[in-house]
Amino acid sequence: MTRGVLLFAFNSTEYNYVKMAEFTTRKAKHLLNLPCTLVTDKSSVIDASTELFDQILIIDSDSDNQIDGRTWLNKGRYRAYELSPYDETLLLDVDYVINSDKLNLLFDIMDDFMCHETISYLIHGHNRHEYLSEKLSLPTLWATVIVFKKTNRVKQIFECLKMVQENYEHYANIHKFSTDSYRNDYALTIACRIVNGHTYIKSDIIPWNLLHIHPKTKIYNSNTEYIVLNDNWQRGKIKKEYVTIKDIDFHVIDKTNFMELIK
Amino acid sequence: MDVQTLLAESKARFNHNSAKLYLTEKYNAKLIVADQGGLWRADAQTISFLLSLQTLGAEMILLDTFNTPVKVDRIELIKKLSDVYAQVMQEWHSEWQELETKR
Repeated sequence: MTRGVLLFAFNSTEYNYVKMAEFTTRKAKHLLNLPCTLVTDKSSVIDASTELFDQILIIDSDSDNQIDGRTWLNKGRYRAYELSPYDETLLLDVDYVINSDKLNLLFDIMDDFMCHETISYLIHGHNRHEYLSEKLSLPTLWATVIVFKKTNRVKQIFECLKMVQENYEHYANIHKFSTDSYRNDYALTIACRIVNGHTYIKSDIIPWNLLHIHPKTKIYNSNTEYIVLNDNWQRGKIKKEYVTIKDIDFHVIDKTNFMELIK
Repeated sequence: MDVQTLLAESKARFNHNSAKLYLTEKYNAKLIVADQGGLWRADAQTISFLLSLQTLGAEMILLDTFNTPVKVDRIELIKKLSDVYAQVMQEWHSEWQELETKR
């Protein structure tokens, strides 16, 4: 039985996702003791420290997606199932900071597939759920952390993910969400629902919250701990506040902040 | 500029309420235990519930956190969950004491 981490990283003009993947790989090797495979494209692999990764797989990236007016190369995540060289795979977004050994528990508790549903933001509010759209909609599943085994059901989830990606406008129409940017989270939510017969499978959900660092919150590295700094606006004045965190994983939404963090 | 200087110059204050929430996130996750083929939360409710079922003997069926009925050895599960609970609470308390002194 083989276990490992799979990371997708395609560089854009703004961000070096391969450098982010290298940071995540160092953390995964140190804290989870797992091999790591990078999935990237021809132009991005030039930047990769090849000795760091156990395997590098080169595929064609799909540049047909935008966010805030810039290219966002996040499509093709459905290929994780066919590309993963492992029996049990931890599929991570490269901007997810592994800062504990907690993720190893997922291999022991999953049936064959798990991802996050509930979330919270450090220091910046406290939010349990995001929905595909505002009214009468499904709670969003998060593609940031996915753990899976190679079973027929999981194969169907990833095939369905492909189908949703290829028919994104249709599903956006049904579920009333924006098509401005393709989001893996939304596609995963729909794919899981379809494959599970439109039922809610509790054992597909990671039993703790995905912790986000909000784009309006800054995170800094300080020796063994991280410091999260927030501007709390009160009556037109900024009140700066912070917390220190350690031994906990988190997802940095602001890529610029993430790049500063890994310098 | 290092982070400590940044905090000092910006006159940032440590947010104790946010620290409490962060600790709750972190240590609640550590209370999750896989044992005897089920997934459990080593919390006060589960341990108390198990302790209250003495008349049922050692072996019993229990719903785990995924709502799966699992046959368990109640005594062994109490021991496992109590050990995890005690250890996690100790760590939680230590880190809270450390953070409580920050300003």
